[in-house]
Formats: sequence, C-alpha cells, structure tokens
Amino acid sequence: MKILIIEDEPELSDSIADYLSGEEYLCESAATFKEALDKIEMFQYDCILLDLMLPGGDGIKLLEELKKHNKQEGVIIISAKNALEDKIKGLQIGADDYLAKPFHLPELAARIYSVIRRKQFANVNIIKQNELTIDLLAKTVMVNEAEVLLTRKEFDLLLYFVSNKNKVISKSALAEHISGDIADMFDNYDFVYAHIKNLKKKLNEAGCDNYLKTLYGTGYKWDI
Amino acid sequence: MSKLLNKSLRKLILYAGLVLVVSIPVYYLIISRLWQYELDEHNITLTPEAGREDKLLIVGAVTLLTVLFFILLLTVFIWVNRRISRQLWQPFYKSLEQIKNFDLDQNISVVFDKTDIAEFAELNKSLDKLLAGNIAAYHQQKEFADNASHELQTPLAIVQSKLEVLLQGQTLTQEQYTNIEEALNALSRVSRINKNLLLLTRIENSQFMEKETIVLPELLADMLPQFATIADGKQITLSPVIQQGVQITGNRALVEILLNNLILNAIRHSPAGSDVLVNLSAKTLIITNPGSQSLQQEQLFKRFAIASSQTPGTGLGLALVKQICNRYEWNIHYSFQDGLHVFNLHF
Repeated sequence: MKILIIEDEPELSDSIADYLSGEEYLCESAATFKEALDKIEMFQYDCILLDLMLPGGDGIKLLEELKKHNKQEGVIIISAKNALEDKIKGLQIGADDYLAKPFHLPELAARIYSVIRRKQFANVNIIKQNELTIDLLAKTVMVNEAEVLLTRKEFDLLLYFVSNKNKVISKSALAEHISGDIADMFDNYDFVYAHIKNLKKKLNEAGCDNYLKTLYGTGYKWDI
Repeated sequence: MSKLLNKSLRKLILYAGLVLVVSIPVYYLIISRLWQYELDEHNITLTPEAGREDKLLIVGAVTLLTVLFFILLLTVFIWVNRRISRQLWQPFYKSLEQIKNFDLDQNISVVFDKTDIAEFAELNKSLDKLLAGNIAAYHQQKEFADNASHELQTPLAIVQSKLEVLLQGQTLTQEQYTNIEEALNALSRVSRINKNLLLLTRIENSQFMEKETIVLPELLADMLPQFATIADGKQITLSPVIQQGVQITGNRALVEILLNNLILNAIRHSPAGSDVLVNLSAKTLIITNPGSQSLQQEQLFKRFAIASSQTPGTGLGLALVKQICNRYEWNIHYSFQDGLHVFNLHF
C-alpha cells in the first residue's frame, strides 16, 4: 500500500512514515504544494494524508485537483485548524476523513486502514486473519466460522487493534479513541480496561488465539 | 442630581431676582426725589393726602414694573437655557448615548458626529482614542489566544507522534515505557487545554453561529449511554428523569459540549457508589451529584479557577459552559443543598 504524506513539518511526516512503514505501508512525503502536485499527477497512491496549510498553496486546492482528475485515492485531511468549516468543506469536496492535530498515530493508522478498505473493497470488505474473520460491512466477527457477538464499542476496538497490528498502543491513545473528546475528564482510564477485558474474554471463549497482549502493564499490542 | 445648565440657571435667576428686589427701593428713592424736586421747582405744594397717594403710586408702579421685568427675564432665561441645552449640548448627549450603548463584545465601532464646538470636539477625540486603544487591546488579546493555540497544535502533534514512535522500540524497558506513557498523558492534557482555549476564543469570536432546533431528550438519549459506561466504571448510577419533547434552539456542537461538560463533571467529582441525577423539565435541566462541601460560587465559572495538577480536568469546562450559556442567554446557577451539588440550567 502506498501512502503520500503531504505535510510541511518534516518531523511530523517522518514520525508518521516511521510508524506506518512496516509490513504493509510504503510512505512518501511531499513538503510543499508544488511537490505534492507533481507526485499526485505522476503516481498512484492508496491513501493521501493532506495538511491544509502548505507552503505555496492551500491544501484544499490539491483536493480539488485530485477530484478534477478523477483520482481514486482516499484522502484524509490532517489539519491544525480544526475549524468546523474546514472540515465540512474538505469532506464536501471529497476528502474521506478529517483528523485534527495533534492526533495519536494509532488513530491515524486506524483511519487510513478504514479509508483504504472502504475505497478498495467496497463490495466485499472482509478481513481474514487465521481463525478470525471480520466483516466490515455487516459488522460481524467470526472465529472458526462461529459468530462472536460484540458490542459496537468492542467491534470498533477490535478494528483499531487489527489496523495497528504489532504496534504498542498506549492507554491514553485507546481512551481517546473509545471516548472521543470526553476522555478529557478522567482521572484514570479504567473504562478502557473494562472494554478490553470484555473483548478479550469474548474472543478467547470463541476459541480465538490470544493476539491481544498487555505490555509493560498499561500498553497493548495486537501481536501476530 | 440636577443637570449642569439647571444649576447655573438657578443661580442666574436668584441673582436677577436679588438685583431687581434691591432695585425697588432705589428706584423709589430716586423717583421720589425727582418728583419732589419738580414739585419744588414749580412751587406746587400738595396736601398730605395727595403726597401719600403719590408715594403709594410710585411704590406700586415700581414694584409692578420690576415684577414684570423679572418675569420677562425669567422667561427669556428659561427659554435660552432650553435652547442652549438642546442645541449646544446636543453633541455631548449624543456622544454620551453612543458610549452608553458601546459593547466591546459586539464588534461595532463607534463613530462620533462632527461638532464645531472645540470642547466637544476635543472630548470626542479623546474618547475615540480611548476606545480605539481598548478595542485594539481586546482584539489583540483574542487574536493572541487564537493564534497561540493554533501555533501550538503542530509542535504538540510532533511531540506526541515522536513519543508514540518511541513506544514502538524493541528494547524498551518497563521504566522507559512508564516514562513515555506519563509524558503522553501530560501531553494529552496540554492538547485538551489548548483545544478548549481555542474553542473558548472561537465562541467569543462569534463563531458557531449556525442554529437549529434541538430536541433535548433525543440528544440526551444519544449521549447518556456513553456517560453510563464511564459512570459504571466508577460504580456510579446515572439516573435520568427526562420530560419528552423539550426543544431548544442553539448550535448542536455547542449544546453537546455544554451537556458533556456538566454531566461528566458530575460523574467525575462524585464518590464511587453514588448517584448522579439528570433531570430535564420544560425550561430547566438540573444535574445533581453528592459532594462534601460547597464549591466557590464566584470562582466556579472562571477559567482555570479550580484546575490544579492533581485534577485531570482542563480547568476550562465550566468556563465553556458559562460562555455557551451567555451566548444563548441561558442561565446557569450553582448551589449546594443537603450535601448535593446542584447545577441548574434554565433556558
């Protein structure tokens, strides 16, 4: 999978590339409007991460350019502005998702995963991993052909782990993923633990291998 | 208090009256003398009765005339005074009215009318300068908050991503992991403070103007399950009593923030095993949770009033609540009754 990171802060795009590069993703970066435009015109990507404030032009223009050329890449806007109007405008022009800075890298990875799956496996969107089968459209999970009933949160969490496989995920990133903005308020992230415990239990009872490991006491990793 | 011109008018009338009263005997004396002189000149002698009659006549005439003149003077004074206050002071009253109606928050600048009276022109000029200075300082402050929060987002994103990359290290020790995790937690807090500050400035800058009709019971029904999960984790019971069909008009995003902050605050600050009540009726939303002592009324809704390094909150939650209530002219009130914190939102 090829990913283009359009971001003018080299430190940030390096981190993103660092995190994503591995088994599945191949990352390229563009730091200016011009560079990004050249790359978009020349190559084909699976997903484009687009910062809106770029030296040499507005990121929204790049998005318009993509749509004009009928390019099929999934686009995720990553912006420091976090203004509602930007978000609405971006999504209207054809971005697939919007993530406000600062974001957790696992969150970004999960969004990329879901955008690519949505774009490329529009009709049959099934993730298979050994005995585990996840149907993204039907939102069902099977272990060894038997359905496991998960709550919406648990399903969401499973997807989050699968899209960050072999990565260490901190509890705070998980908390923010589960609760969105309201994670703000909490002295401890025990509610995260409760969700994970339930998910683990359900998968294990259905005969799924223990992929979800606890690391260093508070971190998690989908180990495969 | 009396008007400036009335004060001077009263003095003028008093003075004029005094002068006229004093002038009565003077006139009388002079006229009597002249009369006597003329009589002597023409060798006319009057009977004592006629002399007395003349005296009375003179006194009467002088008094009558004086009173007449006094009335004339009075009328002219009052008339002139009215005219002056209406015309001359017009620019002054106008400026006064403009300053009275001026509101820093409303972003409307004040333009004073031109006047050809030097004093008022100078006054207006000084007021202009004063207002311009204030407006500039106010905008600068708002812009600063906005820009500062903005500019912070990218470096925050960099630090956070670097830490998360660091977490992936193969040879990380437990201690190193804990350190990174703690740094990440603190960073999350900074990010949230920053986000809330930005939100506050945006509300102040009159963004989020879109309005819609919100059916509160529906919105609460959407939000409560999420709160319930969190409450369960602390063995807190969330008990909603909700009247159906209650509608309000406002920005959905803002109303969600308002409800979030109020209800989550209540959950967060309640001891384990207690009850949090959410009671919605036609015009009010009351959120109640147990507590040991009253919070400081005046401080409660101020920024960073209760934030400390011990609490994970941003110290901006209630400030946001207040700001949102101000926007829609809703009333938020806190009280402490029988060991219960009560937040009463009246819309």
